[in-house]
Amino acid sequence: MKKRFLGGIIFSFLFAAAVQGYAQELSVDQIVEKANRAAYYAGKDGLADVRMTITDAQGRVRSRQFKIMRLTIATGGEQKFYVYFNEPADVAQMTYMVWKNVGRDDDRWLYLPALDLVKRIAAGDKRSSFVGSHFVYEDVSGRSIHDDTHELTQATDTYYKLKNIPNDPKGVEFSYYYIWIDKANFMPKKAEYYNSKDQLIRVIEAVEVKDIQGYPTVIQSVTKDLERGGETVMEFDNIRYDIGLTEDIFTERYLRQAPAQWIK
Amino acid sequence: MRGLVEYGIRHAKIVVGAMVLLTIIALVQFPRIKVDTDPENMLPADAPVRVFHHNTKKEFGLYDYMVLGVVNERHPQGVFNTETLAKIYNITEEIKDIKGVISREVIAPSTKDNIEQDGTGTVRFNWLMPYPPQTEDEVARIRSEAQDHPFFKGSVISDDGKALAIYVPIEKKDMSYRVSREIHKIVRKYAGDEQYHVTGLPVAEDQFGVEMFKQMAISAPLAGMIIFFLMWVFFKSVLLITAPMILAVMTVLITMGLLIGLGYPVHIMSSMIPIFLMPIAVLDSVHILSEFFDEYPRYNDRQKTVRLVFGELFSPMLFTSLTSIAGFFSLSFAPIPPVQVFGVFVAVGIALAWVLTMLFIPAYIMLLPEKTFTDFGRPHTEEKPHLVDRMLQFMRRVSTERFKAVLALTVIVTLASVCGIIHIRVNDNPVRWFTAGHPIRVADRVLNKHFAGTYEAYLVFEAEDGKSEIFIEPQMLRYIERLQAAVAQNPDVGKTTSLVDIVKKVYSELLGGDKRNDAVPQTKAAVAQCLISFENSHKPDDLWHLTTPDYSKANIWFQLKKGDNRNMSDVERLVDQYIRENPPPFAVRHAWAGLTYINVVWQNNMVVGMLKNFLGSFVIVLLMMLVLFRSPLKALISMIPLTVTILFIYSLLGFLGKDYDMPVAVLSALTLGLSIDFAIHFIQRAIDIHEQKKNPQETIKEMFGGPGRAIVRNALVIAIGFLPLLAAPLVPYKTVGFFMFMIMLVSSIATLFILPAIISISPKTFLSGRRGRSDSL
Repeated sequence: MKKRFLGGIIFSFLFAAAVQGYAQELSVDQIVEKANRAAYYAGKDGLADVRMTITDAQGRVRSRQFKIMRLTIATGGEQKFYVYFNEPADVAQMTYMVWKNVGRDDDRWLYLPALDLVKRIAAGDKRSSFVGSHFVYEDVSGRSIHDDTHELTQATDTYYKLKNIPNDPKGVEFSYYYIWIDKANFMPKKAEYYNSKDQLIRVIEAVEVKDIQGYPTVIQSVTKDLERGGETVMEFDNIRYDIGLTEDIFTERYLRQAPAQWIK
Repeated sequence: MRGLVEYGIRHAKIVVGAMVLLTIIALVQFPRIKVDTDPENMLPADAPVRVFHHNTKKEFGLYDYMVLGVVNERHPQGVFNTETLAKIYNITEEIKDIKGVISREVIAPSTKDNIEQDGTGTVRFNWLMPYPPQTEDEVARIRSEAQDHPFFKGSVISDDGKALAIYVPIEKKDMSYRVSREIHKIVRKYAGDEQYHVTGLPVAEDQFGVEMFKQMAISAPLAGMIIFFLMWVFFKSVLLITAPMILAVMTVLITMGLLIGLGYPVHIMSSMIPIFLMPIAVLDSVHILSEFFDEYPRYNDRQKTVRLVFGELFSPMLFTSLTSIAGFFSLSFAPIPPVQVFGVFVAVGIALAWVLTMLFIPAYIMLLPEKTFTDFGRPHTEEKPHLVDRMLQFMRRVSTERFKAVLALTVIVTLASVCGIIHIRVNDNPVRWFTAGHPIRVADRVLNKHFAGTYEAYLVFEAEDGKSEIFIEPQMLRYIERLQAAVAQNPDVGKTTSLVDIVKKVYSELLGGDKRNDAVPQTKAAVAQCLISFENSHKPDDLWHLTTPDYSKANIWFQLKKGDNRNMSDVERLVDQYIRENPPPFAVRHAWAGLTYINVVWQNNMVVGMLKNFLGSFVIVLLMMLVLFRSPLKALISMIPLTVTILFIYSLLGFLGKDYDMPVAVLSALTLGLSIDFAIHFIQRAIDIHEQKKNPQETIKEMFGGPGRAIVRNALVIAIGFLPLLAAPLVPYKTVGFFMFMIMLVSSIATLFILPAIISISPKTFLSGRRGRSDSL
């Protein structure tokens, strides 16, 4: 199968599903599939300014400012991401690129302008931090819907609640997680991660969802580390869909030389 | 004041009843006991170094660590085999579940991230040991990656590969004993070729507290039993010698009850109150019993004998108590809260012991059945003089007939002692409070042999303005790099870890893992980009153990192989010297945190404070002697045996190379208070006797009778009574035993040789003149 599932609500701003009304009597697989589309595959492509505010357990605040571009190659399948950092000043012009693959590990690149170095980063483990925030890499690229076994635990008038148990417990820090999916638009609203002692260790929430160019889009999301304390807020601005991004931007050449057309 | 004794004689039952009641009230307080075994509390909670230590721990997310060392000497690859690593993996998992362990911050192969090469041009962030390795290849990879990582090398794995350490952070230090026991319980399940050791300052400190209380329950009663037996040897009447024992127990119970009742926690210091109070409480009673035993047969009337004995002894007993009180009360001026509490309560206990002696001993004697005293007392016609008497006669002859030789010897011993004192080394280390064979000491030795060091200290640099991002400036990082290289020259510094090590590691891995690139990058942006790359790992927060998110502060983690205060002080001096000689490129200030460093600070306070106290109380005792003897000459002479004793005992520390540590510092008060006692008794009684006899030779002769016997009996009872402490498994107990033994022995010998020798120079000058204070009371 070629679809990935949530984890990455954070990028759901880019995606809005063409979900028509709501379906009754959906199977778990159908719900998962629809949610995946809603969260990840809105528009053919998309672009946004992102402000990331990282607050640690001591209340110390750091921020990151970057532009993110996404191009869908195959709906429900391959995608490409390009991240260009504006702030902090010392990391300005740093770029980060992901090719989300199907059936094999993603490809990741990092360009460090101060070292004039393009580095491939092995994607063996996707649970590592995204540039020091409380979001992990898998939140960015999306967790494959085949990595978990899904179970519908609750369906109310407004949402579905799914329990997701990883098929391979090695290498993930949680034992299972719940996800709440809005029945109206199939946007994942919240995810809660539990450890083996059934303690809630991590929460991701779509704080604000807005309609942009007809796609329901997350414009603010937050992840909280309940084990250690601290949280990261992501705010999305200047969101545009279907602007005609081309595949050549998502290549190593543009890592060193950001596409001026899109990066001001 | 003598009314006390009269009251005791006349209202014996009321006195005893009141004592029992008081003791019961004190006992009722005991369940409220609060125990505090944290040496950090040697400093007030608002002491700058403690405040800084706590802020540093908070700011850099540091904890007090215990260390579990796993050693495999049997397998050719050491711990690097699938079996041992699997055990380590499982043990780590179990340790994380112990209550009080901060599981997210456990440092072990399975909990730490690693940056490594993954094929050409690719770096990979991976847990060092995400699961127990199945193959030799995986084992070899873990080993080489760990050796190559600044977090692991020397800290988590030993350079010889024989040992692996798990660092266990705990929420509070006072949990460490319990946590260490739970760790021991876990590792027992994984027995095999591996040896397991647990150490670290928090464990040593907390376990010491636990064992201290146990030891108190063994030592105090044991000393009591031996004292009881020795008194029986001298006085033969079980009923009679029970009195001092009851008195000692009541003194201890009431004092401790008061301390607990007033809400003071029982600290390591105050747990030693019983062992200090017992000999002091017994001393006066032995003087009384000794005289009572000698005099009773002469009158065969206990009331009369009691009055007579108390008449003779009242004044010396008052002053010996007052000097001891002064010695201990002076501790209340020490800048160390637990020492203040200790000093005040021992002083209160001594006062109490004195009052009890005046009230209770007469009452007790009066309440005994008449038949107890049949055949009681020292037979006046003895065929063969008793050993004690023969000793005394020998002393008398030597000190009077060869007084010049005695005085010359005194001068020589004093001068030699001064030489020894110069060699005294001030040093302490809570781990060394345990004897060499104790598991904690063994663990300390084994782990510090294999690893970079189990003693931690933190050197924190901070931008002078408190905000500049100077710790990503390559210049500043290279400065820290050079500082780290400079301190590595000290063999006790096993390892230092700083932001520089992370930057260099990430930089060289990004550049392909080539060792030639093991350097600080050229620009600030390059440093920042290395760090943000590091933040892509599983544990980006590890960065904030070494710097703050605004890069205005940096923390250098020192691991020392030795935790002695002087080792820490050496490192501190080395750093100060380096910074003085090599000014940093930016305006920074630096300060230390960490338990190893805190111990240095309170010890310095203690040594300086104790020395001041000691000199102060020396003067106070001298003033008291002036009041007592109303003669500057006699007052000065009374101080001679005390001075010789103190110099001699402390010189032994210098000669034997025993460190001047916390217990030794505290014992100076006891030494001062007890060493003067025999001199007071001797001079006071000599003046009294001379007043009656008007003959110096007769006076001296009589002095080596009753009063001399009291001194020798006392010295023997206490000195031998405390000898078993030398076998205690805790070093401070040995120290107390050694001091008690030496104080009694040396001060009695000094008194019985030097004072008669001085008197012999010119008997009239020293004995005649006004009587002492006793008749005016």
